[in-house]
Amino acid sequence: MSVITTTDLKKEYSLNGIVIKALQGVSLSFEAGEFAAVAGPSGSGKSTFLHLVGCLDTPTAGSVFIGGTDAAGMKRNDLALLRRSTIGFIFQAYNLIPVLSAIENVSFPLVLLGSSRAQANERALQVLDQVGLGGMENRRPKEMSGGQQQRVAIARALVKRPKLILADEPTANLDSTTSREILELMLKLNEQEKTTFIFSTHDPLVMEFARRLISLRDGMVEKEVRR
Amino acid sequence: MKIDEIGMVADMAFRNLTRHRVKTIITTSAIAVSVAIYIFVDAWLLGMNIESRRNIIVYEMGAAKIQSPAYFSRKDDLPMYESFSEWQELSSALEKSGYRSAPRFVFTGTMYSRTGSAPLVINAVDVAREKELFRYPDYIDAGSFPAEGTRGIAIGTFAAEKLHVGIPQRPDGDELENELVAAASGDGERAFIRSLYVPYRSVKEKKRLFTVEEDSALADNRYILRSDISESDMRRFWNILAGAGRMDVRISTTIDIKALPERIAGEKFTHDVLPLFSGDDRAALSAAYTKDPLLGDYILTGTDEKSNARVLALLLEADYSGAVRHVNQLIDAVITGVVNSPNPKTNGNIAFIPIDSLQDETGLLLDGRVTELLIRSAKAKDSQLPGKFESVESILSALSKSSCAPRFSGSAGTTVPELSIFSWQSYSADYFAAAAGDNISTRVMILFLFILSFIGIANTMLMAILERTKEIGMLRALGMTDAQLLLSYMIEASLVGVIGSTIGVIVGCLINIPMVNYGIDYSAVTEAMDGNIGYRISSSFKSMWNAGTIVATFFAASLLSGCMAVVPTLRALKMPVTETLRFE
Repeated sequence: MSVITTTDLKKEYSLNGIVIKALQGVSLSFEAGEFAAVAGPSGSGKSTFLHLVGCLDTPTAGSVFIGGTDAAGMKRNDLALLRRSTIGFIFQAYNLIPVLSAIENVSFPLVLLGSSRAQANERALQVLDQVGLGGMENRRPKEMSGGQQQRVAIARALVKRPKLILADEPTANLDSTTSREILELMLKLNEQEKTTFIFSTHDPLVMEFARRLISLRDGMVEKEVRR
Repeated sequence: MKIDEIGMVADMAFRNLTRHRVKTIITTSAIAVSVAIYIFVDAWLLGMNIESRRNIIVYEMGAAKIQSPAYFSRKDDLPMYESFSEWQELSSALEKSGYRSAPRFVFTGTMYSRTGSAPLVINAVDVAREKELFRYPDYIDAGSFPAEGTRGIAIGTFAAEKLHVGIPQRPDGDELENELVAAASGDGERAFIRSLYVPYRSVKEKKRLFTVEEDSALADNRYILRSDISESDMRRFWNILAGAGRMDVRISTTIDIKALPERIAGEKFTHDVLPLFSGDDRAALSAAYTKDPLLGDYILTGTDEKSNARVLALLLEADYSGAVRHVNQLIDAVITGVVNSPNPKTNGNIAFIPIDSLQDETGLLLDGRVTELLIRSAKAKDSQLPGKFESVESILSALSKSSCAPRFSGSAGTTVPELSIFSWQSYSADYFAAAAGDNISTRVMILFLFILSFIGIANTMLMAILERTKEIGMLRALGMTDAQLLLSYMIEASLVGVIGSTIGVIVGCLINIPMVNYGIDYSAVTEAMDGNIGYRISSSFKSMWNAGTIVATFFAASLLSGCMAVVPTLRALKMPVTETLRFE
C-alpha cells in the first residue's frame, strides 16, 4: 500500500519577478517501509519536492495523496494537524528547541498530540534509548555534539510513530563517521519500525544507503534506481 | 488545548525569557516602574477624593439640599431673592423619615474690620441644627461658635488673617507688636500676650513625611501661637483683643427682593419687556401694567396674584434687572470665633452668623425665609459617604407622603415646582472639575509611561520572534497550529508583564504604606491659595488603599503585555513555512 503518491506535481514561484519552475510534473509513489533518497544538484527541486510531500507548502498543480487523502486542497490548519499526526521531520540544522532538554524536545510532539507529559516522557525515554542517547535525556542541545543533536532530532521525528519521516539533508552538517552512524541508525529504525523514510540529499553516502534512489534534474525525474 | 499542552507551552515561554536576559530585565523594570507609579498616584488621588467628598458632606453641605430650582439655576450669583419660607414644616417631615436638616440663608457682603475689608459669603445659620449636622463648629481655632440670637459671627481663618480679627495662629513680628501687644493695657497684659507666642524658628514642628516649606525670609519673622495655652488664658487673650475693638466688624450688604417694578418707562416697556412675552403671557403682562396716558410709562396696576407672579417669573428668567430690588444694609457684628476645619472651604472668605438675629429690619428682613435646607440622614456616620437612603430620590419619596409634597411637584398651571432637592454632587462642581482634571492629566501621563513600557515589550518580542523565525518554521512543521504559536508567544510576552507588575505592585504598596499612614502636609499651599484649591483637604492628606486598582493594574499590565506579541507573531506566521525554515 502506498503511503505517499504524487501525481504530476508542479510548483512554480516567482523570485524578484522571475518565475522559477521548481517542479515540472513529478509523479512518484512510496510504499510503506521504503528507505528512499531524492538526489540532485542544488536547484533540481529536491527540497521543493520534500516540502510538498511534507505538506509544508502547497503545489501549483498536481496532487499529493497522503494515505489516500489529497493534501493539495487542504486548509492551513488541517495541514498542520496532518503534519502533527502523520509526518516526522529531520532537518539539516537539527532545529531542536534550545531551551528544552533532550527528553523535552522528544516528548514535545506527543504533548501536541494530546498525551500527558508523564506518558510522553516515558515514550521519549524509550526512543532516546533506541537512538543511543540513554542517560543524556536531561542535556540541553548546546551541551551535545552535532551527531547527538541529530539523534535527538531523529528521536523527535520517530516518537509519534509517524507513517512518514522526511529528512532534508540530514547529514550535511556532520562528518563522514558520524554521518555513517546516523544513516545506520535510521536504516535500523526503518527496519524495526517499518516507517517510510524519504531523504533529500547530495551526499554520496546517503545515496549509498538508500534502497531507492530518485535523481531529479530541473524539476523532473531524471532516473530512478531500486536496490 | 489540554492542560499539559498549555503547561508545556507556558514552560517553554518562561524558559524563552531567559534567552534575552538584559532585554527582559529592562522591559520588566519598565513595567514595574509604571505599575508602581500608577498604584502610588491612584492611591493618592483616591485619598484626596474620598477625603474631599467626606469633607464636602461633613463640613460643607450634607448629603443634599432643598432649594428653589430658580436659585439653583443661578446659584453662582447666590440670588438671595429666590428664598422660601416655612422650612420648619419641611424639617419636621424630614425628621419623621429619619433625616436631620439645617436651614441657611446665604448672602454676600463686604466685611470691614478696623484694619481692612474682605468680601465674604455669609451663612446665616440655625446654630443648634448646624451643630447637629456639621462638624466645622467643632473646629474653632480661637473663641467660640456664635450663640443663638446674638450678632456674633464666626469667620474662616484665612479671612480672619486678612481682616486681622480673631487670634492669629502665625502672626509676623509687626503684627504681634503693633496689633496684639498694642491691644493690651498695662505691662502685665503686654507680657502676658508676648508669652503666648514663640518664634517659628524655635519650634520644632512635628514633621510629616513630606512638607511644603514656607519661604525662608517670611519664616524668620514669624511667630507661632503656643499650643499649650490653657482655656482660661485663651479666653483672657480673646477678651483683651475684643476689648480693644479687634473683634468688631461691620458687614455691608444688599437685601435683594424680587418684585414687579412699580413703573417701567414707556420705551423700555416696548423694547425690552414686551418681546419677552408671547401668547397667554402677554395677556398676563397687559393685565399687570397700564399705560400712563400723560407720561407714557407703564404702571403696575394688576391685582391678580397668580398672573403677576407669572410675569415676575418670566422677567427673572430673562434676567430683567428691574425685577430685583436692592436695599443697602449695614450690619454690625462681633467676631466670636475663627473656623479652621479640615475642609478649606469653611476656612476661606466665609462667615457664619445666627439666622435668628437677622429676621428684622436691623438684619436682612428675613421674616423666616431661607435659601436652602441642608439634609443628612440622622443615622449617617461622618466617615460614610451618602448612601441610597440619602439620595435625592429617597428624600423626595419620604417627602411625597407629607403635606409638603405639593411644593415639589409644581402647582397647576406652571411646570416649575417651588422647591427641588439637589444632591451634594450637583453642588460641588469646583471639586469635581479639579478632581476630574487632575485625574485625567495624571492618568494620561502615566498612560504615556505604560505606552513606553509596552513599546519596550513589543520591541523585545519583535526581536525575539525575528530571531526565532527558523524555530517557528520547525514548530509549524511539527504541527503546531497558528493559534498555539500565537498563544505561546503571548504567554511569553505576558510573563514580562506578570513579573513586572508583581514587582510594581510590591514597590507601589511599599511606597503607599507611609503615604497612607503619614501623608503629605499641604498647609502652606492651601494657605497661599486661600483654601481655593478645589480639593477639600487642608493641612494634610493621606493616600488610601485601592485594592481594585492594584488588582486591575496587575491584570491589565499582564494582559496588555501579552497582546504586544500579537503583531510580531502574526507577521512571522504570514511567511510560508518553507521560507521560515530557510531563514537565517
